[in-house]
Amino acid sequence: MSTLGSAVRAGASALAAERMRIEVAVSNLANAESTRGPDGQPYKRRDVVLQTTTVQDFDDSLGRATAVGVEVAAVVEDQGPARRRFEPSHPDADKDGYVTLPNVDPAEEMVDMLGAARAYQANLTAIGLIRDLVQRALDLGRG
Amino acid sequence: MSEITSDSGVMAALRQQMTLAAARQAVAASNLANVNTPGYRAREADFEQTLDGKLGDPLTLTNPRHLAAAEPSGPASHEAAGLAARLDGNNVQIDRELLSMTQAAGEFARAQTALAAKFRLVRYAINEAR
Repeated sequence: MSTLGSAVRAGASALAAERMRIEVAVSNLANAESTRGPDGQPYKRRDVVLQTTTVQDFDDSLGRATAVGVEVAAVVEDQGPARRRFEPSHPDADKDGYVTLPNVDPAEEMVDMLGAARAYQANLTAIGLIRDLVQRALDLGRG
Repeated sequence: MSEITSDSGVMAALRQQMTLAAARQAVAASNLANVNTPGYRAREADFEQTLDGKLGDPLTLTNPRHLAAAEPSGPASHEAAGLAARLDGNNVQIDRELLSMTQAAGEFARAQTALAAKFRLVRYAINEAR
């Protein structure tokens, strides 16, 4: 039973991580044209770093945890080169008339979001399957 | 191995099968959870090996200088072999894991049905065949 509990927890940790990925991708998309961030510099694309984690469970303290979850290790800024666009009328244009724009590629963000959404869906399905198992186990106690 | 034919033996075996199905479920859920973790390698539950360890004759020490067999504590898992890794070193395939979960769910359901039938028999005996 606790095995199933840790399996659900692993699935839940993935749901949280994938939701975080979608959130970050959405904020990247939203700020694709933001030329002023909090530091006055153009927005920098953010990326989520995922890492495995042992599911915190009673089994874990006994040293026989079987489920491996996932967690967001960090949200890092993409240090790739910024885009530049010739737009002399823009208030943030430099003396040559170029505007420095965030290094966000909308297509890349969409693909990232799609992948995260699919992974979210798969983990939701997995949790549903485990719930069925728990239900069946409970049925054993029924007349 | 002889006690497998007895009532309690069958129940123990069914219980074991349910435990292992749950463990396979947990391993597949872990793989699914890490479908986007770079460098993660898909794992598999040691199903047959654990089953043999549970059902086979227990190993006994015939010589005090022999090492005792390790007590199987919980189902073990190993890295799945023969899976193509993606560019980020991850080799989890969503369809494979979901299939494995469905299989494990079926296994669990089979054992549960049989165990429920066993429990019905016990209840029948307790109620003096009424």
